[in-house]
Amino acid sequence: MASFIPNLELAPDTCPEFKRRKRRITDEKLAYSHYHQRHQRIKRWRTQREQHIYSSKFIQALRRSRLTSTSSSASEEVHETADRVLASLAKGTTRWGRAILSARKMVRHKKAKVAANTRLRKPAVNREKRKTPSVQRKLKVLGRLVPGCRKLSFSNLLEETSDYIAALEMQVRAMTAITEFIAGGGRQPPADRLASNVNS
Amino acid sequence: MSSRRSRSRQASGSRITDDQIIDLVSKLQQLIPELRGRRSDRVSASKVLQETCNYIRNLHRDVDGLSDRLSQLLASTDTDSDQAAIIRGLLTE
Repeated sequence: MASFIPNLELAPDTCPEFKRRKRRITDEKLAYSHYHQRHQRIKRWRTQREQHIYSSKFIQALRRSRLTSTSSSASEEVHETADRVLASLAKGTTRWGRAILSARKMVRHKKAKVAANTRLRKPAVNREKRKTPSVQRKLKVLGRLVPGCRKLSFSNLLEETSDYIAALEMQVRAMTAITEFIAGGGRQPPADRLASNVNS
Repeated sequence: MSSRRSRSRQASGSRITDDQIIDLVSKLQQLIPELRGRRSDRVSASKVLQETCNYIRNLHRDVDGLSDRLSQLLASTDTDSDQAAIIRGLLTE
């Protein structure tokens, strides 16, 4: 990144040439960081390291939640914990992540609403001529499946969707490995290893 | 210089082109195991979206089932002593 920032110390701030150069550099920096971000996004959720981080944070969170356990269904608690930790790993960079973290207390109400709506088949309002009504309908359904994405534009929705799918897949891999670990009596499954300190 | 600026800005929602739609849909298609590797001109956008929704629902169901299983395992501290020891090891410090 440093190579993108030329030596600015020489030009005084008021010089127009300096301002033009500065604007160009900012554009380049932006372009580079977008490029970099996009590449990081492709790898995101797919590395072993991330899965290990998720697994250990998940287990820590389970530990904490068991200490303050209430009467709500244990399975729901595990699920909510799993989602919360997943969302926190997104570090606020995704809409679905922010939606999960802010809507945690309303989860039950939201789930009831979504279940009802998917049964109704309202005719889609077709503002875009290029998208057929069936595509519009399915976009709507998709927007309801991905947390916090009901009113997103087409391209934003698809971007959130692809990140959400990758995150969910990692969640499944991690929880599967943890479950197999516990159920298997401590024998570590060959492919996935947990970042835990338990000695078998 | 102003042209550079406008080029780097994305088209706002309503001005998305057909090509952009095709491009985004085919990118999404690659993420769905069901549709991966099939030629994108053979799969309609509607089908891709349908399969995406199905896939997400399946993933949700998987996590539900795993949460169920995990909560059962965590609760079974009395039964299997091996499991209980592991659970204690994982959950206590």
